[in-house]
Amino acid sequence: MTDILRIRDLEVEFVTPHMRTKAVDKVSFRIGAQQTVALVGESGSGKTTISQAIMGILPRAAQITGGSIVFADPKKPGTRVDIAMLSANSPEMRAIRGGSISMIFQEPMSSLSPIHTVGDQITEAVRLHQNVEASEARDLAREMLELVGFPNAKSALRTYPFELSGGLRQRAMIAMALVCRPALLVADEPTTALDVTIQAQTLRLIKDLQKSLKMSVLLITHDLGVVANMADHTVVVYNGRVVERGRTDDIFINPGHAYTRSLLQAVPHFDMGPDERLKPLREIKPRTDGLLTLTDKFDRKMARLTDHATYGNGRGEQNNEASASREKGEDGIKSTEETLGSSGDSAADTSGRTHPRWSGGAKGEAVLSVTHLNKSFPVRKSGWFGVDERRIQAVSDVSLTVGRGECVGLVGESGCGKTTLSKLIMRAMAPDSGSILFRGESGQMTELVGLDEERLKPYRKRIQFVFQDPFSSLNPRMTVQDLISEPMLIHGVGTSAYRRKMVLELMEVVGLDPRFLNRYPHSFSGGQRQRIGIARALCLRPDLLILDEPTSALDVSVQAQILNLLKDLQRDLNLTYLFISHNLAVIDYMADRIAVMCAGRIVESAPRSSLFRNPAHPYTRALLNAVPYADLDHPLDFSKIMDGKCSDPSAWPAPFTVDRQSNPPMVQLAEDHFVRMSRADYQEIAV
Amino acid sequence: MIPTLFMISVLVFIVIQLPPGDFLTTYMNELKAQGEAVDPSKIAFLRAQYGLDDPLYIQYFHWAWGLLHGNLGFSFEYNLPVTEVVGDRLWLSMVLNFSTILFIYVVSFPIGIYSATRQYSWGDYGITLLGFLGLAMPNFLFALILLYYANVVFGTSIGGLMDPQFINAGWSLPKVVSIIEHLWAPVLVIGTSGTAAMIRRLRANLLDELGKQYVVTARAKGLSPMKVLFKYPLRMSLNPFISDIGNILPQVVSGSVLVSVVMSLPTTGPMLLSALQSQDMYLAGSFLMFLALLTVVGMFVSDLLLAWLDPRIRLQGSISQ
Repeated sequence: MTDILRIRDLEVEFVTPHMRTKAVDKVSFRIGAQQTVALVGESGSGKTTISQAIMGILPRAAQITGGSIVFADPKKPGTRVDIAMLSANSPEMRAIRGGSISMIFQEPMSSLSPIHTVGDQITEAVRLHQNVEASEARDLAREMLELVGFPNAKSALRTYPFELSGGLRQRAMIAMALVCRPALLVADEPTTALDVTIQAQTLRLIKDLQKSLKMSVLLITHDLGVVANMADHTVVVYNGRVVERGRTDDIFINPGHAYTRSLLQAVPHFDMGPDERLKPLREIKPRTDGLLTLTDKFDRKMARLTDHATYGNGRGEQNNEASASREKGEDGIKSTEETLGSSGDSAADTSGRTHPRWSGGAKGEAVLSVTHLNKSFPVRKSGWFGVDERRIQAVSDVSLTVGRGECVGLVGESGCGKTTLSKLIMRAMAPDSGSILFRGESGQMTELVGLDEERLKPYRKRIQFVFQDPFSSLNPRMTVQDLISEPMLIHGVGTSAYRRKMVLELMEVVGLDPRFLNRYPHSFSGGQRQRIGIARALCLRPDLLILDEPTSALDVSVQAQILNLLKDLQRDLNLTYLFISHNLAVIDYMADRIAVMCAGRIVESAPRSSLFRNPAHPYTRALLNAVPYADLDHPLDFSKIMDGKCSDPSAWPAPFTVDRQSNPPMVQLAEDHFVRMSRADYQEIAV
Repeated sequence: MIPTLFMISVLVFIVIQLPPGDFLTTYMNELKAQGEAVDPSKIAFLRAQYGLDDPLYIQYFHWAWGLLHGNLGFSFEYNLPVTEVVGDRLWLSMVLNFSTILFIYVVSFPIGIYSATRQYSWGDYGITLLGFLGLAMPNFLFALILLYYANVVFGTSIGGLMDPQFINAGWSLPKVVSIIEHLWAPVLVIGTSGTAAMIRRLRANLLDELGKQYVVTARAKGLSPMKVLFKYPLRMSLNPFISDIGNILPQVVSGSVLVSVVMSLPTTGPMLLSALQSQDMYLAGSFLMFLALLTVVGMFVSDLLLAWLDPRIRLQGSISQ
């Protein structure tokens, strides 16, 4: 087999006026004809820079400082071009770029120009590289659009990218890249921005096209599941260097390099035992003794102590007390609660400060109970005659219970309403109908729907939130100290000394060096920022922590680190999580019970093991079929992947169909296993 | 658009009426100050004739009705219908302002592109410096400097919009040539700050767009750098450029008032100034309405152009979300 591309000792440096950074260091690998080679690494490993060097589209600050990229075009046998030697804008390079080697990108929306039609952008590529008339180019573009699975290719030519869904946009992007029938397709994270079912469709499409167009693929990804399903050969890059390369099966079965091994162990997979842990590159050992586990009595004492005492003294003492209270266990907590009840008056006179009480309730009692929640948003459509107002049902008939100390996973694709649901629970918006019961300070379930802002306030500090994007969820102008203590300030918790102590402790809890307290968020990595976010959410010692995709912006090894941290904290502090994610494997690793959400409805809810062993709903099955396993023994079954219909409730087969005629309720299949379907022999159950 | 113009006309009328007194009181004061006797019966006659004693809303309707029929009213100061007073000045103003806007676009466009594509080069720095100078310098000062040096160094007068012999002459080819010969100086003076601002804006827009992913996609197709630049980011950065038309029109028109006074240009600017000073309400009102009309029309044109140019504006209105 002949090689199409040979990269030898490639070096790329970024040159700024102040420094030179080597982004790619002596990288060598080859891509054979009609082969798929995966370039795997975490963000910042240089994998995208390598692809840019191959395409000759390096940013201005980057230079190829050594090595060669030899490209042998199979359409012109016998010719070899060293791309590294060509000037990026030379006619030779431009003929290769887009003609013989083309590229698809991660973000299908921003990668296409929003103001040119799809047809315009595709025919442009045709006419650049092939000497054809405009009409012929249009025919070629239409043919390509049909090939990538556009239902109506002719009218698709005239649409603008923003009129298409994410999956179709990526298909248009693929059509544009492949319309000149390149010998090599460089795919830079082609499915990272897509939902898992769309991802599976796109991967299948790339695989099919590769076969029919006889091209090679360089697949750049961080997702080992994608690698296992797509690649013949795998190149693992770390810090700009190749640490391991070889046949994909060799690498998965017998990883040679420690980094590859740790990468494989950091990915959650479905066959994990109940006590099996992910192994991140660096494990965080949270210290969870101290203020966090204290009960109120100690808190008040602490607050008074730390008013006068220095931190060092205070900490020693409080640690002792903490461990004492932990030894006493459940009973101890109860007894302190009783004393708390009797000494209520004295609590009031200690300057009227209140401290959040760490949830000491019994394990298993419901903390949150949501029933038949509905929320719709108006969509305005202005036509020639007035405004047509429709409502889109974002959350529809959702019922969900979260018990104390439990982690409930909520899984669904983008736009399924899971974030809206979390906002409703937070009461960041009001539901149209339904009830949200929450166990408040009094130990009673309280209805949150209908409470006004003032009466909601005590509940606000008992439900806290960890956001998806660690970069935009921290104010860049506040120090870590300010960020973590802000919730306490807002709710007037503790004295400044107490707050300072709490922040110091939280830093240790999430495994950050307390010396960083006066730094600003920009000096932290994504994982560290997310830990700051977790510390901020914990500082009020909430009863319920809502985690909205807390790891989807992070690399796998950092993700493993954060997931383990969350697991440890949950165990040590008896935390209650509502964990929202689109990643089934992550949910599987974290959650005790899983609710699957689609089109605003929960369609199936079951304990972790039975959901994966015995999925009942077609949507759950489609989701499970679409997940690429980082395991060679579980290849994706591309024949089972539905074509974009699996998330359309009216396309589900009976008895699951949801449309105008039928609106099936949740029924019980087995103990704790609920499915939305209409079956006469089962009756509806209140969840 | 029509309700907007109606509201503007009401506002204009109120603003003109706001200062105490009217043209006749100002006129009387002036005469008294010069020690001349004022014939009260003449004043009363004038008041009655112009309806100055009518309630304000009736005065307004008279004025607005006239406006609709192209009757701009009567200028007290010049004792002539406003249309005749304004006469050529309106056309000259429009010629001047139109050429200024043209100048701004023609000059700032290539410079902005150059500046953005060669960010942080010496050329970029130089242009940036010049641009800030142009922004910072009041244009009447620039006009004075230009007048002074033209006189001292070249011994010519660049004031006015045409050679003196044409001022009251009818339209003729030499007059047009003379106007074009004189036009460059005020255009340069009025256009400098606008050009500088436009260069900065275009540069910022284009820099934003150049960093976008679709530019990389276009490069990855194998397009040449020039074609990439013109087809994609440049077209995207046109949006603010066009939406500026509405802003730039009144800016240029009002900016030219001071310059016109300094350079003694026969445009509407100086006349508006004096009309406001002497409370010549119909004349001032007509000018203000003219300005408002320019702005509204400018906005309308820029909206139409935007919708034509950007499918997102054209189509997204009818797409949910």
